[in-house]
Amino acid sequence: MAAGTALCKRSRIDICMTRRDLLLLPGASLLPHIRASEPQNLSFPLQSIEGAITPPDMFFVRDHFREPEISLRSWRLSIGGRVDRALELGLADLIEAPLKKVESLLECAGNAAGGSAASNGIWEGVPLAYLLQEAGASRDASAVALEGADSGRLLPDSPDLPYCQVVPMAKCLRPESIVAFKLNDQFLPRKNGFPARALFPGWYAMDSVKWLRRITVLSADDEPSDFRRSGMNKVYNRIVQSASGDRQVTRLQEVLVKSAIAWPADKMNLPAAKLTVRGFAWTGDGVVRSVEVSTDGGRAWVPARLETRPKQFGWVRWSYTWTPTPGDYVLMSRATDDSGRQQPLQRDHARKDGYELNFCPPVTCVVR
Amino acid sequence: MRLPAVILLLAGCLRAADCVPSRLGEQEKLARLKQLDAAAQDAFDHRQFSVAAQRYRDAVCLAPKSARAYYGLGIAEAANNSFPAARRALETAWSLLPENQVPLAMLVRVNVAMKDLEQVKATLRIAAERFPRDGELHSSLARFLAENQLVDLALAEGLRFEQTGAQDTGAAVALAVLENTVGAYDDAIRIASLVEEQPGVADPVKAAAAGVVGLSYENSGRREEAILHMKLAIQLAPAQENSYVALAYVYEKAQRYKDAVDVLRQGRQQIPGSLELLLPLGSNLIWDHQYDAGIEILNELIGKRPQLIEAYVRLAEAYRLTNQPELEARTMQRLAAVKPDYPMVHVLAARAMMNVDPMNTAAVLSELSKAEKIAPGDADVFYLRGKAYETMNRYREAAAAYEHAIELRPLDPSAYYRLGMAYRNLGQIDRSRQIVERMQHLKQPPTVR
Repeated sequence: MAAGTALCKRSRIDICMTRRDLLLLPGASLLPHIRASEPQNLSFPLQSIEGAITPPDMFFVRDHFREPEISLRSWRLSIGGRVDRALELGLADLIEAPLKKVESLLECAGNAAGGSAASNGIWEGVPLAYLLQEAGASRDASAVALEGADSGRLLPDSPDLPYCQVVPMAKCLRPESIVAFKLNDQFLPRKNGFPARALFPGWYAMDSVKWLRRITVLSADDEPSDFRRSGMNKVYNRIVQSASGDRQVTRLQEVLVKSAIAWPADKMNLPAAKLTVRGFAWTGDGVVRSVEVSTDGGRAWVPARLETRPKQFGWVRWSYTWTPTPGDYVLMSRATDDSGRQQPLQRDHARKDGYELNFCPPVTCVVR
Repeated sequence: MRLPAVILLLAGCLRAADCVPSRLGEQEKLARLKQLDAAAQDAFDHRQFSVAAQRYRDAVCLAPKSARAYYGLGIAEAANNSFPAARRALETAWSLLPENQVPLAMLVRVNVAMKDLEQVKATLRIAAERFPRDGELHSSLARFLAENQLVDLALAEGLRFEQTGAQDTGAAVALAVLENTVGAYDDAIRIASLVEEQPGVADPVKAAAAGVVGLSYENSGRREEAILHMKLAIQLAPAQENSYVALAYVYEKAQRYKDAVDVLRQGRQQIPGSLELLLPLGSNLIWDHQYDAGIEILNELIGKRPQLIEAYVRLAEAYRLTNQPELEARTMQRLAAVKPDYPMVHVLAARAMMNVDPMNTAAVLSELSKAEKIAPGDADVFYLRGKAYETMNRYREAAAAYEHAIELRPLDPSAYYRLGMAYRNLGQIDRSRQIVERMQHLKQPPTVR
C-alpha cells in the first residue's frame, strides 16, 4: 500500500482528497480570493440571484478601509468594559458555543433606490446576548462599542483609527443579534468579515462590524472615544431640514421598507410577449406584507405575487406576469410592510443626507 | 467561558434503588470487584456487551465511588448501543475523577453517536477549560470529529491543539487541511510549510503537507508556487494518487491540458490500477485534442465504474467534438439509463440525434417527450421539437412549438427567427415579418433616451 495512503488511513482525516473532493470542498476554496487591498466596493446585479439567498461570492461589499490580514491563530475577540469577567475568545470558542442561525438581509445605508447593495443570507453565530451574559455585562450598560480589525482615516481630518460602531444594548440583547462566523453554511469569506463579524438583522449594515475584534460594554456615562475621534459619529446620520431651516440629526438604525426590480433592467428592449417582472422586497423589523407593480410610472398599481414566504429580517422574492403590447413603459415596484409602512414614490426633499434611499425608482423599457 | 453545570448536575446518576444492598466486607468487596472487572473484560472480548454492562452495573453497586467502574459501564453501554445509559455512566465517571480527561473524551464520542451536537459542544467546552494544554486530547478529538464529518468542531479542536504548543506533525497537517477548507489559506500555508520543511519528518507526512501548501497557494491565486509544492508532494510520495490529481487539476484550471495529461500519465505509471486518475486523464486528453486516447480511457472508466456520471458527459463531449453524433446520442442515452434525473439528459440526447444523417425524427420526438415529462418548463425541449417538425415540413406544429419556447424564454432571438421562418413556410408573410422585426428589436442595444 502506498505510503501516502497509509498516512490517510492513520490520520483518518481528509488529507488525501480525491478529485471530487477537490472540486466540492466546502468553504471558500473555490471562491475568488481577495487579498489585502484597497477598500472594496462590490455589488452584483440582483438579476443574477436565483432563489432567495445571495451566494457568498455575490454578496455586496462596502469597505471603509483595507481588508485586514487575519490569522486564525492570533485572532481573538475580546469582550471588556463594564463586565464582571473580561473574555478573550478564539474562533474555537465561538464554534463550540451555543449557536443561532438567522436569515437576514444586509443593506448598505447608502444603497441607491433600486440598487444592488443589498444581499440576503443565512448567518450562523453566537448570540451576542449569550456572550454578554458570559462576560457578566453590567445591568446598567446602555450600549456596546464594536471594533473591527480594519483601520484607517475615515474622514480627511480623522486620525488613523479602527472601524468602530456603537450599538444600543437593547439591540445587542435581541435574540437575532449575533457574532456571525458563517454565511450560507460556509465560513465567512474574507471580504465578508472572516473570521467573525457582528450581525444586527433589521438594521443597516454599517453596524454589523466586519473582522470583529473588540466588544466594549459601555454605561451611559462612558465616552466611546474612537467612535467620536474617528469621525464615525458624523456619518450614517439622518439629517432632516425643517421649513425654518433647522436641522434634526438622528442615527440611522432600522432598515426602511423597500423593493427593487431585478428584471428587466432599465432601458431594456423587450418583446411583446408574456414576460415575468421580478425583484426583491424587504423591511427592517417587520415583515413585507405586499408588493405592487406599476407599468405606467406609478399611476396604476397591481399586486405582485410573493414567491417566497415573507419573514422577519429576510427579503422576499416577488414576480409579476406581464403581457405588454408594443409601446414605451415605465415600471415601478412598491412594497408595504405589516406596520403599514409603504415605499414613497419620491425622495423626501427635507432629507439632506444620502442614506435611506427607499423611494420607487423608474425602470424604462421599450416593447416591440 | 464558564463551566456548564449540566454534567455536574447529572453526576451520581445511578439510582440506589437499582442496587441490592451489599453485606460484604471491604476485602470481600475488593475481591468481588476484581472478579466483576475480569468477567466484564472477558465479556468484552467475546463481544457480549450487555453482559459486560451488567457486570459493571454490579460493580458500581459495590463501589459507587469507583470512576473505573463507571467508566467501564459507560464503555460497555456504548458498545451495546445504549447511549443514554453510557452518557450517564461517563458523566458520573468524570465527576468522580475530574482531573482525568479520558471520560470526557469518551463522552464526546457517545454524544456524537447520539447526534446531540449541543452536548458535544458542552463537553468540548469543558475539555477546553479543564485541559487547555493537553495537545494529545485536542488532536485526538479533532481527528475523531473530522472522521465524523463535524468539520467545524474538528477545526475548533485543531486550533485548541495548536494553542497547546504540542508537536504532532500529523495533527498539524490535519489542521492545515481544515484551514484550507474554510478559506484560511495563509494559516494553512504557514503551518503546512513548517511540516514540509521540518527535518526528520516521514516523507508521506511531508508530501501531505506539501499538497496542502500547494492547494492553499492555488486557492490564494499563486499558481506557480502551488505547482512547485504539488510537484514536491509527488516527488516525496510517488505512490499517492491524489497528488497527481491535484496537480493535474491546477494545470487544468490554467488550461495547460498537455501538462495535466503528462502528470496523470506519470501517475498511471506509478499506480497502474488507479481508477481515480482515469477521469481527469480522459478529460484532459480530450481538451488537449487527443480524442482517440481520451475516448479509449473514458470507455475503460465507464466499463469499470458505470455509475460515474461525469465520464459519460465527457465521453459525449468527445464524440460531439469528433463529429460522431450517433455515438454521442447513445452515450447520453446510456447516461439517462444510469441517472434518469440528470439535468437535460434527454434534451442533449435529442440534440445529438438531430445531427445524425438521416435524422430519425420519431426517435427525436420520443426523446423530447421524455424530456418534457421531466422538465415541462424547459424552453429547449420546445425549440428542438419545433426544429424536428420543421424537418418534417410540419410547419404548423413547428410554429406552435416555437411559440411555446418563446413563452418560456421570451428573450431568445433564435426562437423568434425560427418561428418567423415557420410562418413564412406557412405563407403568413406579414406575421413572419412581424416576428423577425421583434427578433431584431431584441438584438438592438438598450434604448438610450
